Amino acid sequence: MAPQVLEFASEDPIAARALAALYHAAPATSEPPTLRYALARSAGGYVATTPSRPPFGPASLGDALAFLEWRATEDLLNAGSPDAVFLHAAGAQVGPRLVLIVGDSGAGKSTLVAHLMVRGHRMLGDDLVRFATADGTFTAVGRSVKLDANALSRLPLIAAKCAAGVVGTLLAAGCYYVSPAAIRRTWQAPAGRPRAVLLLDAASRRGPGRIERSSDGQAAVYVTQKVLTAADGAGKDVTVRLLDGLADVTAYRARGGDPAAVAEALEREAAA
Amino acid sequence: MTVAGNTARPVGRPDLRLRRVGSEWVLYDAAQDKAHVLNQTAAVIWTYCDGNFERSAIADAIAREVPGLDSTRIKDDIDDVLRRFADEGLLQ
Repeated sequence: MAPQVLEFASEDPIAARALAALYHAAPATSEPPTLRYALARSAGGYVATTPSRPPFGPASLGDALAFLEWRATEDLLNAGSPDAVFLHAAGAQVGPRLVLIVGDSGAGKSTLVAHLMVRGHRMLGDDLVRFATADGTFTAVGRSVKLDANALSRLPLIAAKCAAGVVGTLLAAGCYYVSPAAIRRTWQAPAGRPRAVLLLDAASRRGPGRIERSSDGQAAVYVTQKVLTAADGAGKDVTVRLLDGLADVTAYRARGGDPAAVAEALEREAAA
Repeated sequence: MTVAGNTARPVGRPDLRLRRVGSEWVLYDAAQDKAHVLNQTAAVIWTYCDGNFERSAIADAIAREVPGLDSTRIKDDIDDVLRRFADEGLLQ
């Protein structure tokens, strides 16, 4: 797949710094840009412009950034590719194993990924994971991790970086966008096939954090039917290839409301 | 006894794809965009749904391929699984 370059730019120094902070983790490429997004200061705030779309704003810098990220993600997904699709999932390399983390919005994927990274593990993705249909591998997507104040309260290291304005951390629209590179210098998990799928259930967040074995087949069905993004133009063959890519997984379900305990339980399983 | 939906030699729909996932199997129906989770016994039964095997022959094969199964239960299990396959529209 040819790299899909997302180029963000602004003449305004504050907006340019914010954009750089958000997206500097994206892999460098020499390919020409195919999509361009820009922020410009106007009388009422910032205006976001995206390809072939009406401008957004004027709005606060945070709102304009949130819009740009949403728009860029949509375009990335809609750009289509015959040999890759994007999964609405998170993931990390825990020990020798890639773990695909799935769950509905708000289930805690980003928070768990942040905890795993703080504990020294590399990120496979937060919200987006690339799946190459040709060889069945899963690849990390460089995208900021969104954390709310509640999540940050349990992540003092990241909270301190956000408070200090370390490059790669940004408060926007009531939400912290944290570049993976701001958490770990080497953040990107190697491409491969997951050996575990962890389902986060937003309805099971009481009690001590733990993980339990669950149906491998049901987890795969969840991935193919809820995680394979609707805008991928995937076709039925992609579902079969995705099942092939999940051939060696062991499925778990997370319980409880303590992501640090869930992360620790994943580490124990990986070491077993 | 006649088992609803079961022919003498069951035939699975050729467009379905069976894939192993961990310790289980998933049978994917692209026409319906629906996936069915099978345990190992059901997956083995599916592989014999090619029109060449009567239920008794499938039972013999299962007894060979899945050690430890109670032979008296195998035929009942096969009937249950084939009924499920038929109910789900997985057989021709």
